Parts: sequence; structure tokens; C-alpha cells
Amino acid sequence: MSGQFVAFFILSLLTIGGAVFMISLQKVVHQVVALAFSFLSIAGLYVMLEAEFVAVTQVLVYAGSISILMLFGIMLTRHDAHEDTGRGKFKFLAFIVVAAFFVLVFMGIQTMNIEGTPANFSQQNNVLEIGKLMFSQYVIPFEIMSVLLLVALVGAIILAKREADDK
Amino acid sequence: MSQFLAQPLGWGTGLIFALSAVVLLGVVLGFVTYAIYFERKVVGWVQFRHGPTRTGPLGLLQTVADVLKLLLKEDIIPALADKPLFVLAPLIAFVPSFAVLATLPFTESIHFADLGIGLLYYIAVSGITTLGSLCGAWAANNKYSIIGGMRAAAQMISYEIPLIMSLVGVILMTGSLNLIDIVNKQAEMGMWFFIPQILGFGIFIIASLAELSRTPFDIVEAESELVAGHMTEYSGFRYAFFMLAEYVYVFGMASITTLVFLGGWLPPFEFLGFIPGIVWFILKFSFMVFFYMWLRATFPRMRADQLMQLGWKVLLPLSLVNIFVTALLKELL
Repeated sequence: MSGQFVAFFILSLLTIGGAVFMISLQKVVHQVVALAFSFLSIAGLYVMLEAEFVAVTQVLVYAGSISILMLFGIMLTRHDAHEDTGRGKFKFLAFIVVAAFFVLVFMGIQTMNIEGTPANFSQQNNVLEIGKLMFSQYVIPFEIMSVLLLVALVGAIILAKREADDK
Repeated sequence: MSQFLAQPLGWGTGLIFALSAVVLLGVVLGFVTYAIYFERKVVGWVQFRHGPTRTGPLGLLQTVADVLKLLLKEDIIPALADKPLFVLAPLIAFVPSFAVLATLPFTESIHFADLGIGLLYYIAVSGITTLGSLCGAWAANNKYSIIGGMRAAAQMISYEIPLIMSLVGVILMTGSLNLIDIVNKQAEMGMWFFIPQILGFGIFIIASLAELSRTPFDIVEAESELVAGHMTEYSGFRYAFFMLAEYVYVFGMASITTLVFLGGWLPPFEFLGFIPGIVWFILKFSFMVFFYMWLRATFPRMRADQLMQLGWKVLLPLSLVNIFVTALLKELL
């Protein structure tokens, strides 16, 4: 058993555990903290794949900013920490559906076969290679992404302004 | 040391790696102990006071005694607090503060992880601490805590952006995010980055003070209005964890400023090269720490709305201008 396997096992356990706790915990703030743990473990998995830049971006954007923004939003808007959800009615049916879905996904993963040779990037400067690809081969998707973000930003400002005007 | 770190991981080498991390932790704890003493002495000196003098010769054991008191104190958890989160929050705040030190090179040979993205790693991981203070603030169930936590989150998100943007100029000039490469580039250019990147340096200093939540940006824990911000309900060793995280970040941020803008372990003049690099690093690093304390003793606190305006309306546009000018100069020269 290699160290990599142990690390993978722990990280995937934390990722899935964080997600499960996110669903099962009762308080909204606890859910966000569980989600943050899940995000961090995903970053760990990226490090194991030697995608350091993606890992750090994951920590910077998701574990750092998004989680904090969510907490910020919850604290400013909701006053009741608990949320009662109707449970137990369709428990058995839900279990069947989830089990069937799990079997399907598991079979899919078992029989999956990725074509082509894996990229060899472990000896290269990760960030440099990503930058080169992004500004040569994938420049159009990259620019479209930035326009999309700009549109979202402008849209958010307009929505917020309209609400302020209504009051 | 890089060869030493490149050994295959076994039980023996794993033990040595763990021990070297413990040594770094010891160094950092020693730094924190005497940084607090130094801060009290410097602030006292600026304000015509003596600072600590009683415990030990020249008051040198004052912080040791304070820490001992904190550790021996009764562990109090407020009755209406959210217990699991209240216990977890100091850990979420402290662990990243120590984890960021892993990529800092102190000299060309004394360093731990030589990461290709060292600079970005530092900024990304340090952001998690805010999650800890926000959780602590909410878990304590106290209105002063909540206000402090809110301010911490708003301040961290607003100032992280100019902090990263101000570094982009340096990254453009170096062509790398690796901290060792950045210092080597300064050796190659023959000048430190604070000269060609003077605007970026100014923005970085202001934004890093805000990230450290030190005066004039310490509205997060403004003691005259918020008691102690998110730490109001904390006492004993949990409070010590928060304080420790704060001072470990002083260590980290002073190191990053030294490495990126002040030439790291490089001597200021060629003929002074016979003095080992670690001495230069410590000198510059100590100057930065003194600078933080100097500001604390002389500046008043900013108001929360002024802080936001400065971040979004002044620092962010200026850092964008800095990136633009740097890119233009790099293309033309």
C-alpha cells in the first residue's frame, strides 16, 4: 500500500464526508463549514494529481471566498439558525432511487476507458503551461468566459440597483 | 536542503521531515513570544512609557508568563454558544497560518517546499483563517463578536483583491510565481522590486496591513467599540490560538514582503556579500516587523466605510494601472 493510496483514501473520505455532513447537518452555518472541508479536500486531490495551480485556485476561490461569502450572506439575512425540513415521507423510495443511481455510476466507473495517452506535465512549470495553452489554443473560450463574467457582474449591479430604487 | 527534501518518503525520512517542521514551529513560537514583547516595548517607547519591566531581566519573561496564564486559565464556553463550532473555530484559524510557512524560502539553501506557485499558495491558504474567525464570531452568539466577524470577512474579501493585483506586476517581470525565482530575478536585475514596482509596493503594504488587520485597519477588533471583535467570548488557550495565528501571520507577511519587494537574502551592495544571506533576511524581516509596530503606535484607526472606499475605489484601480503600465513597459523595453 503506497502513501499515495493512503492520502487518496483520506482525502476522498473527507470530500464525501464533508458533502454528506453538508446535507445531514441541521444548522445552516454548520453546513457551510462542512462544505468548506469538502472544498479543501478536493484541493488536496488536485495536488495529488500534480495540478497545483488548480488546487490553489480551488482553495482561493471556493474554500476561501465562496464559503465566506455564503456565511456572510447567511448571517446578514437569516435569523433562525435551524431549518425544519419535511422528512421521512418518501424515505424508502428515495433510498431505492439513490441505490439504483449508485449502482449505475459504479458500473460506469468500473467499465470506463479513457482514450489517448495521459499528458506528461509533472516535470514542467505548471502555471506557465496553463498560461500558454490558455492564450493560444483556448483563447476564444477564455475570452468568452470573461465576457460572460462581465455580463453577470453588470446584471448583478442592475438587479441590486432596481431593488434599491423600489425602496 | 532541496536534496534533503527530495528523498523518497519512508518511515525514517518521514520522521525527519516531521521533526524539521517541529523545529520551524519552535522558531515561529519563539518569534511570536518575543514579537509580543518587542511590540509592547516599541509602543511603550513611542508613547514615553517603559513597557514590561518586572518579569525577568528587562521584562523578557513577560510574554512567557502571559502565555502560561492563558494556558492555565479555566476553559469557558458560554452556555448559549454553538459548542462544536466554538471549539473548532480557533483551529480553523490557526492551522492555515502555520501551513503557509511551508513555502517560504529563508535563504537559497534554507527552505521547505520549493513550490512552483509559492506566492499564490500563501495568499490562498491564508484566506481560510477568516473562515475560522467568522465561525468563531457566529458560534460565540454575541453581538460584538458578530459585528467583528462581519468586518473581518468584508475586509478580507475587499483587500485580498488589491493584494493579489499588486503582486501581478512582480510576477509579470519575473515570469514565475516561485519565491526563489523572484529573489533570483532581483539579483539578476541588480535592484530590488520595490524600486521598479514602487506603486505595487505601496499597494501591497497597505493591503497587507489590512489582511493582517493591524492598525490603521484593525477595526475588526477595535477594542474601544467592539471589546475584542470575534474573540470577545474566547478565553484561555482558545484565545491564545487566535492571538498566535495573528502573530504567525505577522511572521509570514513580513517574510513575503522581504522576499518579494526587499530582495530576500540578497545583500544591499555587492561588497557586503561576505555576510551570510540569512543575516540579511533577518535584518530586513525585523525592519518590516518594526514597521508594523511603528504604524500601530502612530496611526489612528480608520472607519469601516472609509476602509471599504479605500479598498475598492483607490487601491483596486491603482493596482490595475500598475499591471497595465508594467505590461506596457515590459513589451516596450
